[in-house]
Amino acid sequence: MKRLWVLIAVAALATWACSGAAPEGPRKLKFALIPKALDIPVFNYADVGARREAAALGDVEVIYRGPDHADQLLQKQMLESFIQQKVDGIAISVLNAEFLTSTIDQAVDAGIPVVTWDSDAPASKRFAFYGVDDFKSGQEMGKAAAKLLNGKGTVAYITSLGAYNLARRLDGVKDVLKNYPDIKVIETYDVQEDAVRASQMIASGSNRYPDLGAWISVGGWPVFTQNALAPVPPTTKVISFDTNPPAPDLVKAGKAHVLIGQKYFGWGSETVKLLYDAVKNGKRPATPIIDSGVDVVDINNVDQYIALWKKMESGK
Amino acid sequence: MTSIWRAREFSTVLILLAEVLFFAWYLWPEAGRSHPFLNSGNFLLILKYSSIYGIAAIGAAVVIISGGIDLAPGAIIALTTVITGYLFVEAGWPLWAGASVGLMVGALAGLLSSWLIVRMRLPPFIATLGVMGILRGTAFIITEARFYDLSAKLPRNWHIAGISIDWLGPAVMIALAVVFQRLMTGYQWGRSVSAVGGNETAALFSGIPVNWIKTTTYVLSGTLAAVSGVVLAVVQGQGKADLASGYELDIIASAVVGGASLVGGRGSVAGAVLGALIFGVLRNALPQIPGATFYDRLIVGVVVIGIVVMDQMLTRRSGNA
Repeated sequence: MKRLWVLIAVAALATWACSGAAPEGPRKLKFALIPKALDIPVFNYADVGARREAAALGDVEVIYRGPDHADQLLQKQMLESFIQQKVDGIAISVLNAEFLTSTIDQAVDAGIPVVTWDSDAPASKRFAFYGVDDFKSGQEMGKAAAKLLNGKGTVAYITSLGAYNLARRLDGVKDVLKNYPDIKVIETYDVQEDAVRASQMIASGSNRYPDLGAWISVGGWPVFTQNALAPVPPTTKVISFDTNPPAPDLVKAGKAHVLIGQKYFGWGSETVKLLYDAVKNGKRPATPIIDSGVDVVDINNVDQYIALWKKMESGK
Repeated sequence: MTSIWRAREFSTVLILLAEVLFFAWYLWPEAGRSHPFLNSGNFLLILKYSSIYGIAAIGAAVVIISGGIDLAPGAIIALTTVITGYLFVEAGWPLWAGASVGLMVGALAGLLSSWLIVRMRLPPFIATLGVMGILRGTAFIITEARFYDLSAKLPRNWHIAGISIDWLGPAVMIALAVVFQRLMTGYQWGRSVSAVGGNETAALFSGIPVNWIKTTTYVLSGTLAAVSGVVLAVVQGQGKADLASGYELDIIASAVVGGASLVGGRGSVAGAVLGALIFGVLRNALPQIPGATFYDRLIVGVVVIGIVVMDQMLTRRSGNA
């Protein structure tokens, strides 16, 4: 037992010795970039964008860390860990706004500026949000669906219940489609942020509703893989969020018809710029909500979009 | 026999310390920075998050020592946060009353598992898998994908007698570990749990009420998972159906790494808590290493196998001596 106490005492002493801050010196600014989860492919582009911007600024280091899957408790722990580490700024895509609001406030109170991207925590003390106006982008999807269906037919929604940004997008879709009384909503599927579950639901939904007019997905789950849309009959239109590969290929193959793309690389580059301006120059945006706008991709512009994507992905 | 236990727990402490020292060295900061891992604030963070797993791992260890397995703790944690949140936020009950009902639901969930295992003769894996689904489903039905925001009704920066609420989980975990370690080693009930897990037939012939012992282990496991749920709801301030998804495997892994044998008869609740801390340190430190998050599960898998293999070698050596 004595051995145990000696070991614990040594560990405690080492902890105490290292608790104090080391002397200050010239160094790079450290910005933490936290996605909702690392297993959601689109967030890697935020990392590419952030590194490109950091390289351009010269004195910024980007730390891209997140939970390996969408675990809100793990994301909260990481945020708290970055507060402990006293990073110079935090840019976070929030998994659960209410759950993280107090922790974001804790970071700001500790002198660390926070911006949110992709998914906001509007009640928190974050100084800016960069991302799509979810309601407006939902309206774009609604307009696309109405046009593809000529104002008549049935639609099924794909969403993930509980996420604020997805709920706003769905509100936008509904806001447009309420003006088309001949378009009927027959089902709303909750895929729980899971692309595999989305594939299963698309397959079973296509089987149950072979005459379905359109699938409207407010997240990119149907276009994250080549195969999820395979069971969809050619008469059914697909309008989906997200334009990252392989989604444009699905447009070229005629499986998806309209895609709404976010500024994936901008999630990283623009939030690094915002943090840099706040920390280095004391400048903050005039309004906290910065609408990134969306890219609308269909068969008419898909080739240009693919070319642009390749350029951005190379980090240039 | 007692010396083996002591040696096993001591080796778990050594592994934990080695892990801490490794990350302290690996994450040594550049000039002008404080240490990102080795500081008291970060250690509280590790304790706070590990306690969610550690409290439930105590119950899981007892079940495993009795020769069973419990897959329901993650779902019980979620359902407890939902029930506590519903009663406190929606129904306007005092927090203690909502939490008490949450604890009772945990105990009832354990009772249901034990009834399926003891009376219906279902294998523990199947029985608790079913109970897990029922409880998680119930949590989703109650919330309908909403959540209960306890934090809005709780004091901000809540301190009790000058101590931050962040210490609630670690304090409860340590207190429960001490109590149940004593119960398992110094009382007839604990010895009976080990006897049932070691050889159920022999335990029966020696007059141990096997069914009663099994029932108590599952009720205990359910109740302690509910304690984790109450801690989660109070400290994190939210009741939500998808909280603690998949935690059951981490909880079982904590108990196993802490010395619980999956064939029953052997293990330690103090070891289970140490196991939860070993994983807590990994969860805290790996995200601080570039690219290491992707290795998280791989490292956890290697750690589980490595420690259990080492445990078996240690046990064989003691048996041969």
